[in-house]
Amino acid sequence: MNLVVNGDAESGPGGTAEPVGSVTGWKVVQGAPALIAYTLGGGYPGTADPGPTPRGSRFFSGGDSPRTVLVQDIALPTAGIDAGYTRYELTAWLGGYATQEDGARLSVEFRDTRGTPLALSVLGPVTSAERGGRTGLVERRATATVPPGARTARVQLVLTRSGGGTSNDGYADGITLTLNTTGSTR
Amino acid sequence: MTLNRRDLLRAAGAAGALGAVWPLSAGLSPAQAREAAEALGADYDPAPFTLGVASGDPQPSSVLLWTRLAPEPLAAEQDLPEIVEVRWTVATDPALRRVVARGTVAASATLGHSVHVPVHGLTPGRTYWYAFKALGRTSRVGRTRTAPSGPVSKVRFAAANCQAFHDGFYAAHRGIARENVDFVVHLGDYIYEHGQVGGVPADHVRDHEGGAVFTVADYRRRHALYKGDASLREAHAAHPWFLTWDDHEVVNDYSGTGGGAPFLQRRAAAYQAWYENMPHRDGASGDGALPDPVIHRRRGWGGLLELTVLDLRSYRSAQNLKDGTILGAEQKAWLKQGISKAPDAWHVWANSIMLSQLRGRPGGSYMFTDQWDGFLAERREVLGHVHSSGLEDLVVVTGDWHSAFVDDLRPDFDDTSSPVVGTEFTAHSVTSGAYSASWNATNGPLMGAANPHLKYFEGNRYGYDVYEVTPERFSAHMRVIGDLRDPASPVTTLTTFHVDRGKAGSYEDPATKNSPAQYRRD
Repeated sequence: MNLVVNGDAESGPGGTAEPVGSVTGWKVVQGAPALIAYTLGGGYPGTADPGPTPRGSRFFSGGDSPRTVLVQDIALPTAGIDAGYTRYELTAWLGGYATQEDGARLSVEFRDTRGTPLALSVLGPVTSAERGGRTGLVERRATATVPPGARTARVQLVLTRSGGGTSNDGYADGITLTLNTTGSTR
Repeated sequence: MTLNRRDLLRAAGAAGALGAVWPLSAGLSPAQAREAAEALGADYDPAPFTLGVASGDPQPSSVLLWTRLAPEPLAAEQDLPEIVEVRWTVATDPALRRVVARGTVAASATLGHSVHVPVHGLTPGRTYWYAFKALGRTSRVGRTRTAPSGPVSKVRFAAANCQAFHDGFYAAHRGIARENVDFVVHLGDYIYEHGQVGGVPADHVRDHEGGAVFTVADYRRRHALYKGDASLREAHAAHPWFLTWDDHEVVNDYSGTGGGAPFLQRRAAAYQAWYENMPHRDGASGDGALPDPVIHRRRGWGGLLELTVLDLRSYRSAQNLKDGTILGAEQKAWLKQGISKAPDAWHVWANSIMLSQLRGRPGGSYMFTDQWDGFLAERREVLGHVHSSGLEDLVVVTGDWHSAFVDDLRPDFDDTSSPVVGTEFTAHSVTSGAYSASWNATNGPLMGAANPHLKYFEGNRYGYDVYEVTPERFSAHMRVIGDLRDPASPVTTLTTFHVDRGKAGSYEDPATKNSPAQYRRD
């Protein structure tokens, strides 16, 4: 089960390149994202560009802020974690525009009851070279054991603009965090 | 027979063999690389606690304990389980018999098997000892101290900065370890990101282990190399540290908010490795998250001193912009609010890079706009706010310059009628190379003539500062070492400056006023 709420940008306001004030399931910490429809055109990723398959109707972008940050805190089930039997997998489709170096970074930080980091996985940002200089999104994933003592997972999406212009063309979609209790330590 | 390290260096250099024996040269396994590193001067604590122990961010009832498991410190991957259980113990005696806190914590491979334990429930103003156990082994015992909660008559702390591994041995840290101080402030350039400098042993006492660093594995290895100096580990184990950073923890002169995806990949790798290798408390509050640690913070020390730790890298814009920022909007608002609400105390800012204006010669341009000289409007705003708020007893401690300066702080440095609102002490570097003695002799007087607020300049030495603070006086003792090439070089006090409580501006202690310097006003 995906623990991330609205990791596919399908819920809440959006649909155009206009930034939105709030995003279902996420706290907007900095900037203002746009949740753009794949059918919008205008050079944004379209239905035929590299990206999730199948994909929904929208993806995250950085709006018109140089840096846009969204955070989601997820309470973790304790069963299995403290025995060291639970693994997590973080996945995301991350991208940008053509040869520009705007980017999207997704991270998950596992924290104890006081908020102290116990584990970290970072995906991206994906460079234009990693996209082959093409507009679109590519998949990134990381997996590891959830450290005993972890009680929350902070998922953070950072969308960054490079150089001039107004559009922050860091793109993200298909964000998932899943847990798998294996019954034995690795 | 024990080989003398200097002789070994000379012999290896003369034989052209350094490229073959220095760590991580082609064909060496991590274990062989470590062996070679140790033969040439690096050494490590017994595995898995090779990198030592440390503590940081002391508060009245809490302190952060750190270690990192790295059986082969220079290896890209550690031969460890993905999760290792680490036990920690805090006691009121060095033998760890009178235990007051203990626990276990998971060290994850995703964070380089680092351990950060915020211990709570401690007694204010007390010395503690601590150690870790993992994989059947016990670490060295570290010593730390909590901040006092009530009035105190004295605070002593040291400030270190700029410790290029290849430029010398860490005799300064050996000195810091032996100082009777409450805490240490590190002002940045803890590591350097570039590749090998060559020239061992002719121009440098040792070298980096490989090329420029870019990935998490690279930065982890570089941090591990630096911790291969026993004096650095000794200083960490002896006192709690407060930490900020400058540019070389990532790359020279970078702006945290500029650059595209390739740079931001590198920055995230550097930030993560920095966190993994430092006794830094993160995640306690706010909306931040790794790999972007939150560094700026305000801490008190018994009502006598208020320490404000600044982060001048993460949120800065490009230099020389009309509306540029070195603090970022949020940190600037936080700093100004702290100034407005400041208690009656000494106010110390841990400031990685020079706040005072610095022209190279009369009528000349600013020497470096990577420092606050590249962010003029914000400097005027902040120092103007200090003045308009009536903040007194402001002392800014600074690194980066590889030389010692003492400056008066003014809201407008070009207007000598602008009020003095504080003092800036820029400390010598631990090792990072300064300008030549001839450059210093020529340019010291030029800088003095060009900067009416500059009171002192000395650039021929290396070391650290010790600050001694009482309700009546703030004294800056410039500690210097004799020889960068000697790991046990003795420490002496070059000179001392004082700031009297309630009176803006510094003065040099008459007893050391005749000490060598390349510029001194008067």
